[in-house]
Amino acid sequence: MNWIGSGGCPAYFLARMTGRKQPGAGQEASREMVVTNQKGIHARPAAMFVKAAQRFHCDIYVEKDGEMVNGKSIMGLMMLAAGPGSRLTVRAEGDDATKAVAELEHLLHSTKFNQELPDA
Amino acid sequence: MKPIIRHPEVSVDKFYKGGAELLGLKLLAGSNGLQRIIREPTVNRPGLVLTGFTKHFASKRIQVLGSAEDAYLRSLPAAERERRAVRLMRYRVPCFVFSRNLTPDLLFLKAAESAGIPVFSTPLITMRFINLATLTLEMMFAPRGTDLGSMVDVFGVGVIIRGESGIGKSECVLALIERGYSLVSDDVTRVTLVDGREVVGMSAETTRDHMEVRGIGIINVAAMFGVRSVRTEKRVDLVVTLKCWEEVKDVDRVGIEQQHVKILGIPIPHILIPVRPGRDLARLVEVAAFQTKLRATGHNAPKDLDDRLVSIMRNQVAD
Repeated sequence: MNWIGSGGCPAYFLARMTGRKQPGAGQEASREMVVTNQKGIHARPAAMFVKAAQRFHCDIYVEKDGEMVNGKSIMGLMMLAAGPGSRLTVRAEGDDATKAVAELEHLLHSTKFNQELPDA
Repeated sequence: MKPIIRHPEVSVDKFYKGGAELLGLKLLAGSNGLQRIIREPTVNRPGLVLTGFTKHFASKRIQVLGSAEDAYLRSLPAAERERRAVRLMRYRVPCFVFSRNLTPDLLFLKAAESAGIPVFSTPLITMRFINLATLTLEMMFAPRGTDLGSMVDVFGVGVIIRGESGIGKSECVLALIERGYSLVSDDVTRVTLVDGREVVGMSAETTRDHMEVRGIGIINVAAMFGVRSVRTEKRVDLVVTLKCWEEVKDVDRVGIEQQHVKILGIPIPHILIPVRPGRDLARLVEVAAFQTKLRATGHNAPKDLDDRLVSIMRNQVAD
């Protein structure tokens, strides 16, 4: 298997195996956002979005024009071809859903993908 | 998260542009009505309505006029012809199509223009147009959605691989490609319900042939592994869900009963594979695909084995 060779047990499994508690599971959050950066969500913004999304446990989904993709998937986000001005609905489900949505909104609306992410 | 099923709205314009090449449509009048919505995915021949019988008129469909309708209209005196055309235009039909390159007379075109109903002509004969238009409409009306999984064609078995982000989907897909199978789509698959019974998965044009491999980035699969390593669409025959070993409570150890998941309302065979470091996921998905293929041809290994076991035990009793 490939991912074994690529650096041992992925963080995903570590989190599950150590049985970390997930307080507040079942939280849900959703917010409509507008793509405001100049070139839309191309490769680099998509990577930044995914990077930000991955720091949360919750499931994150991004919807555009009735099409929904995984917010932790670069290919998914790129498939949306969300150009400047397009409307996205970001939904999150899980223990840290509210925080995740707030952070992603900050990334889209305030920093417009121009800043490095703050440390988690 | 509940999947979204979209039932696309099909305008005359969409039909016109989408079927332009296949149907050879030429717009003759009524361009201001191109935004009209086609409400039923089929066609109708309005012969009876032209003669005056308007009960049960299937006015939501595309109206096709062939040589019979054309000849009938031409047999009428001009004033009557106009009256019939105007009466026809009172219905909210989406559009008219004249087959065999027939040219409708000016009165008809004028009536359509003022009612804002597009009129097209096609070089096809009526029957051929009806067949092709029905197929085109069927595709355009097909319910669609997105599945949050990768899709691979494993020896003719279309497999959607689902699993949480980070569980090793892409790595599994990559290993399958290395074994000679073809990538349909990475991480997100567009699905369409064809003919009301088959789910077809395809890649989005934007991201076609590409996939993301953690640590390396985005790769072009077609360029790296050759054209046979990709295909744009494939019927979905199997869904494999990869799940963390610790989270799987009761995994089916025998597999006599085929499990299913629904995609666009259609039940698709489903296999849950518990993931643990050290398990060769690609090999497991491959075997799951072969097992599905065997089942489809009437072989059910667990059941066959169970039958054998039962018969051996029955013989023990007889002894």
